[in-house]
Amino acid sequence: MSLNNLILLTGRTINQGVALEGGKTTKENVRAAAICTFDKDDFKKLDCLVGTPVKVITDHGEVVVYSTISEEGPHPGIIFIPMGPWANQLVNPDSQACGTPTYKGMKAKVEVMRSGRVLDALELMKRLREA
Amino acid sequence: MVERKIKTIYDVVCPFCGTLCDDLEVDIDIKEDSVIEVRNGCQIGTKKFFSSNPSGHRYLKPRIKTNGEHKEVSWDEAIDAAADILVKAKRPLLYGFSSTECEAQSKGVELAEILGAILDNTASVCHGPSLLAIQDVGAPLSTLGEYKNRADLVIFWGSNPVHAHPRHLGRYSEFVRGYFRKDGRNDRFIIVVDPRNTHTAQIADLFIQVKPNEDYELINAIRAVLRGVELDVKEVSGVSIEKIRELVDMLKLCNFGVIFFGMGLTQTLAHHRNIDAAICLTRELNDHTKFLLEPMRGHYNVTGANQVFTWNTGYAYSIDFSRGYPRYNPGEFSSVDLLIKDEVDSSLIVASDPASNFPAAAVKNLFKHPLISIDPHETPTSAFADVVLPAAFAGIECEGTAYRMDSVPLRLRKVKNAPGECISDKEILEKLIIKVKEKLGE
Amino acid sequence: MAEIKLKLKKKPELPLEADIITPDNLVGKTIAEIKKLAIYHGKEVVKLGDFFDISGKSTDINDTKIIIEGDLSNVKRIGEKMSGGEIVVNGNVGMHVGNQMNGGKITVNGNADDWAGAMLQGGELEINGDAGHYVGAAYRGFWQGMKNGTIKVKGKVGNETLAWVNGSKPGNRFPKLICGSAGAFLGIHSHGGIIIVEGDSDRCAGADQVRGTIVIKGKISRLLPSFKKIGEVNEIELPNGEKITGKYIEYSGDHSVAKNHSKIDKKTGEISNSSNGRLYIAA
Repeated sequence: MSLNNLILLTGRTINQGVALEGGKTTKENVRAAAICTFDKDDFKKLDCLVGTPVKVITDHGEVVVYSTISEEGPHPGIIFIPMGPWANQLVNPDSQACGTPTYKGMKAKVEVMRSGRVLDALELMKRLREA
Repeated sequence: MVERKIKTIYDVVCPFCGTLCDDLEVDIDIKEDSVIEVRNGCQIGTKKFFSSNPSGHRYLKPRIKTNGEHKEVSWDEAIDAAADILVKAKRPLLYGFSSTECEAQSKGVELAEILGAILDNTASVCHGPSLLAIQDVGAPLSTLGEYKNRADLVIFWGSNPVHAHPRHLGRYSEFVRGYFRKDGRNDRFIIVVDPRNTHTAQIADLFIQVKPNEDYELINAIRAVLRGVELDVKEVSGVSIEKIRELVDMLKLCNFGVIFFGMGLTQTLAHHRNIDAAICLTRELNDHTKFLLEPMRGHYNVTGANQVFTWNTGYAYSIDFSRGYPRYNPGEFSSVDLLIKDEVDSSLIVASDPASNFPAAAVKNLFKHPLISIDPHETPTSAFADVVLPAAFAGIECEGTAYRMDSVPLRLRKVKNAPGECISDKEILEKLIIKVKEKLGE
Repeated sequence: MAEIKLKLKKKPELPLEADIITPDNLVGKTIAEIKKLAIYHGKEVVKLGDFFDISGKSTDINDTKIIIEGDLSNVKRIGEKMSGGEIVVNGNVGMHVGNQMNGGKITVNGNADDWAGAMLQGGELEINGDAGHYVGAAYRGFWQGMKNGTIKVKGKVGNETLAWVNGSKPGNRFPKLICGSAGAFLGIHSHGGIIIVEGDSDRCAGADQVRGTIVIKGKISRLLPSFKKIGEVNEIELPNGEKITGKYIEYSGDHSVAKNHSKIDKKTGEISNSSNGRLYIAA
């Protein structure tokens, strides 16, 4: 299943904060930051179990992350990925000449993955390095 | 059972977020020189103290990358290699500085001036727009103590302190009892404006759900309604006009209001114009009552970085020394824009992790050129750096000064010694300055 | 006109700051002298002759025409603070072209990057392509941006075009922009600019404008809530006396910086609709 016309927000979560202080290259950081939280009703439309990997696609890139239901809902039409390397594959790097990229509010679509793996931070970086 | 000798250090300043809590108690095992307990801190701050203990991802010795593999080397070799990279570069970038102490930051400015480099701190990807707006229209700011003792109306706009500044609510803005707010939470009216019903919003008195990227229009409408203008529209950014009128009445009737704003305003479209409008709103509210605003700064010493850069160069961030004197223009000399245009040919990252925090397009170009990382532990940046210089944690393993989000300087404390050969950021930068000067023949 | 020709030898790897290229600086110099002028490549000081082939000579500023050939998209600050004469750039040009110029004319036959014509004090800047953000805008922290002169952009202009523009009817200063289409926050904090958009504009045109006139001949993606409709007009009279005919809807604003009825007409004693800016959008 897939969902179109979503808006992607990114930002700090406490779990992500704890995980990055505990080591950015650890598995905890993947669990804390490589997730995409959905509104409850949006998630039903995806027709999958919590934790299923999903591919999030924006105009600026795509990344595979784990799906989950938002504790901070309802926010229909909005998905949230904690700040970090995964979110940054998707954000709009254009700063409109003010220096700060647009980290929030990109149009996004989501596809449920039948197969596929969530990369860890170093694997993501390796991919960027080789690109 | 092995007997442990424990030393407790009181009133430790927490080096994590801009709230800079100064009431932590840290237990240190004297024999092993490690943190065994942290009291009063939030989850994240506590974790930071624990992660200073030696672990799999803590660097203990300098490293140089040879044939794609990191190899431990001596300090002399590593500093020599780093200075070599910097001296050869035509347009080096010095970035980071927000998670280290002010003394190290001022050394960073010195190094940037010697190299004719570009100097930037993490404000350029978080509260830079706030600084731009403040430059344009000024800002009515105050210290956190004032808000704690006086504020009876608190707005969190695009900010989620439950997650990002966990103890802010308890120490300054929501639950704490103040001198004129004796009943704590009950004496304050909390409003949250956010596209999501965040955990902060869930404990607020009023939650206004704004559409993403449309904050500017909402502030604009509030300002117009505040001036007594009848608007032509029925709804602005997903908020009905009735609700806006109700909100404006609340804002006018409070005794002392404050807007805490975060990344929700600075990182969406319109960037600094959102802050510009929020500042104008605050200014206009002062015709009716007392109103102030405060940026919720992220890194514990990003405010300090702005202060130190400003008193040294005149500018807070995105500074270019290439012509020998400082120039400033975010968008032209800011790290992300420079990296995307591939205008940097080597970078020195101090206490920061741009590989995790910059958009992918910028990270790609960061990795294309020589990279030096000064960091206590392994991050996606340092893992791919050509030279890694292991630092002591500022505020845990060395002293220094840090500025709280409201620009109040606090002295960081040393609670334990750094493991291995780690030395402070300041000492590393001093070594680099000496070596660079030597290579430039000065 | 006496011509001085510059041809870029190779595209610089790092941005080249060539604020030296103005009629004011090149006039009265021999080719050898011009070749020795300093420009900045990263942190290196290099000579103009290292990057450009140069020919021609001129003695009078106002009689000078500088023609530059090549892809100058990485060359910044051409025509900075020029006071007269003419520059023609045949190709794309980098940031800050013609910033703070107060006389003469610059023609760019290509696209321009951000800050084109920033804080223009006079003269004319014509861009026959697209322009970046902050066209004619005030530099960071300045409260008075473009004060006089004209900017013409055939294509699109970016965000915050003409920010803090500062015109004055008594002072006979009418800063003016004509562009094909516009990004967001067109004429933000305007104090009396004239902006004519031949096509569409993105959100928030005229945000925080105190005075000023914006005419959008196409559509606007999102009008600010603080603009109020006055009515339909068939002819618009601009502050400089020029007239535009056609069916337009007239809005007053930005009302977030001024009250609804803030001005009492001195002659009639009547309360005027408002003292602030106007926004016209094609009906």
